[in-house]
Amino acid sequence: MVKLDASKLSLRELNTSLKKACVLGEEIHIANPGARHNMAVCILSKCRITFDGSVGYYCASMLDGPDVLVNGNAGWGFAEHLYSGTVRLTQNASLAVAASIKGGEVVIEGDAGARAGIGIKGGLLAIGGNAGYLTGFIAQKGRIIICGNVGDAVGDSMYESLIYVGGKVASVGTDSRVTDVTADETKWLGETTERLKLKTRKGTSWKKVESMKTLYHFDKLKLKDRHVV
Amino acid sequence: MVHSSSQLWAKHIMDDIHVKAQLGRYPLRGFSTFQRVPHFDELVFLSTGLTRVPLEGYKEKCNTRTVIGSRFAKEPLILETPIYISGMSFGALSRSAKAALGKGASKVGTATCTGDGGQCEDERKFSDKLIYQILPSRYGFNPRHMLGAQALEVLVGQGAKPGSGGLLMGKKISAVIAEQRDLPEGIDQRSPTRHPDWFGPDDLSIKIEQLREATDGRIPIHIKLAACRVRDDVKIAAKIGADAIVIDGMQGGTGASPDVMLDHTAIPTMASVTAAREALEEIGLYGKVSLIISGGIRNGADAAKALALGADAVAIGQAALIALNCNKHIPGVTDYPKEVGVEAGYCRYCDTGKCPVGITTQDPKLEARLDPDEAGDRVANFLNAMTMEMALIARSVGKSDVHSLEPEDLAALTMEASLMTKVPLAGTDYRPWENGKKSHGGKKCI
Repeated sequence: MVKLDASKLSLRELNTSLKKACVLGEEIHIANPGARHNMAVCILSKCRITFDGSVGYYCASMLDGPDVLVNGNAGWGFAEHLYSGTVRLTQNASLAVAASIKGGEVVIEGDAGARAGIGIKGGLLAIGGNAGYLTGFIAQKGRIIICGNVGDAVGDSMYESLIYVGGKVASVGTDSRVTDVTADETKWLGETTERLKLKTRKGTSWKKVESMKTLYHFDKLKLKDRHVV
Repeated sequence: MVHSSSQLWAKHIMDDIHVKAQLGRYPLRGFSTFQRVPHFDELVFLSTGLTRVPLEGYKEKCNTRTVIGSRFAKEPLILETPIYISGMSFGALSRSAKAALGKGASKVGTATCTGDGGQCEDERKFSDKLIYQILPSRYGFNPRHMLGAQALEVLVGQGAKPGSGGLLMGKKISAVIAEQRDLPEGIDQRSPTRHPDWFGPDDLSIKIEQLREATDGRIPIHIKLAACRVRDDVKIAAKIGADAIVIDGMQGGTGASPDVMLDHTAIPTMASVTAAREALEEIGLYGKVSLIISGGIRNGADAAKALALGADAVAIGQAALIALNCNKHIPGVTDYPKEVGVEAGYCRYCDTGKCPVGITTQDPKLEARLDPDEAGDRVANFLNAMTMEMALIARSVGKSDVHSLEPEDLAALTMEASLMTKVPLAGTDYRPWENGKKSHGGKKCI
């Protein structure tokens, strides 16, 4: 195991040390992260990284391969652009967690701020607590699980993503609607939350938010009636 | 004198209303603004006489090599000409068009830029120097592609539609483009205009640090801005760590934009250059942060004037597409009236995907009309010609480096151009921007 003390390294030194250790597939433990921004950015190999404390903006972003655990809270853009691997946060995430992820799994044990899962293009974002305003905004593919409540405008202008909510939905966004989950989806939700060790309330009645697809086509005219304008 | 027809309700105004009444939405089009706005034609160079000695126009060496982004990057972008190909998406453009641009640019030692929608593999294959754009949509974003780029460009805005996102209509969202962008096939894609993970300058400064960490500080990071509040935006972009700033004026081209944005937003390219240069001078970063200008650059003269006003380089989009064959009638191949409803030379229907010359389409039959090798040669020829024009002008004003061109080499033909660029009106030394200071004839300017 490689042990790094973030308080004694510049950001450049920390990330350089991390990348070197990750290429060797090492297990890395980072003490005293001090909520600094941009730690563990763009690591593209399999490895295991643990932060013992809170992290700032864009921590564990642009990853393809690593398994990351953060024992603390996270700032904006936590785990954004994840390609593959897992990123887990034991407390709360700020704005735009898992923004634009393409694959892998992002697990937030606490709450998530506004725009959680904005523009995701695949993968899974699972939130143990509540999620804020505009969760799943313009989400394209992939799934979002929110075990608690979700704020206003959930799933606004969404494409093919699906959002599952265990608690209350404050309001849906433009072009999204709340529907029932299927038996298969209920089974998958149970298995997934158990696998990810996320607590759900007894008798949780899952709801699904999906796109109504009325924004898919800008032109209201039928194709044959369109002129070149 | 009374006009014989209404000037308020002119034919084109009525046509516009008829179209909107049919569509129920704002019309879209490709190309660029139809407004007649002050442009580089309103400036001329003051070539040498007895006050300066020219260099031999066709013989003496004139440097065109351009270094972009040396402020922080360990490996700045080095171009053999101060002209590169601006960001145009794979999706808006066909694969063959992207390949041709890459081939043409590489032949003259310059760069291309990905545009929206991620990296086109053919462009990467042929473009020796690729600028990877980071856009609000993040369509096709791939960290491995980013690491393979020679520069990054964070797109904040574009001159053709500042404050609004890209558009790619359903006919161009083919199966390939849909997969690359993770979108359903055939939808009318309207890209977001705001980045998902930052909103303002404070956040963007952290984002820039993230990109620098991701790339180990190796390659330059550009910030591209639409030319609107140029002075403030440039100062902010420089302050938050840009290696280079790209200013895209209102004449900037597009594959699809609402008419209303094309014609009624942003300021002319020419006006933005002086504003950007002065902004950098005011904060002591002119010459340290590279300044790149785009939007309606059509020839070497436009490019030379942009450099004289303060740019380090220019980026071209529409001109490069015209070099590919845009709006060219090819006997026995194209039938513009039948295909897009107008003669060659008047087409601006890039948004429809019906491009008669295979550039702005995803239709394989139309794309087959563009041979990437031949088209690449045309782009290389055009870039060469532009570079030669710039060097010719530089020599004529006595400069052995195109980057030595300066505002004093210019005269303005109109008051508008003079006021926008702070270049005196031709034949005068009238400087109204110097309030109360010495002006023409030593008299005080009121």
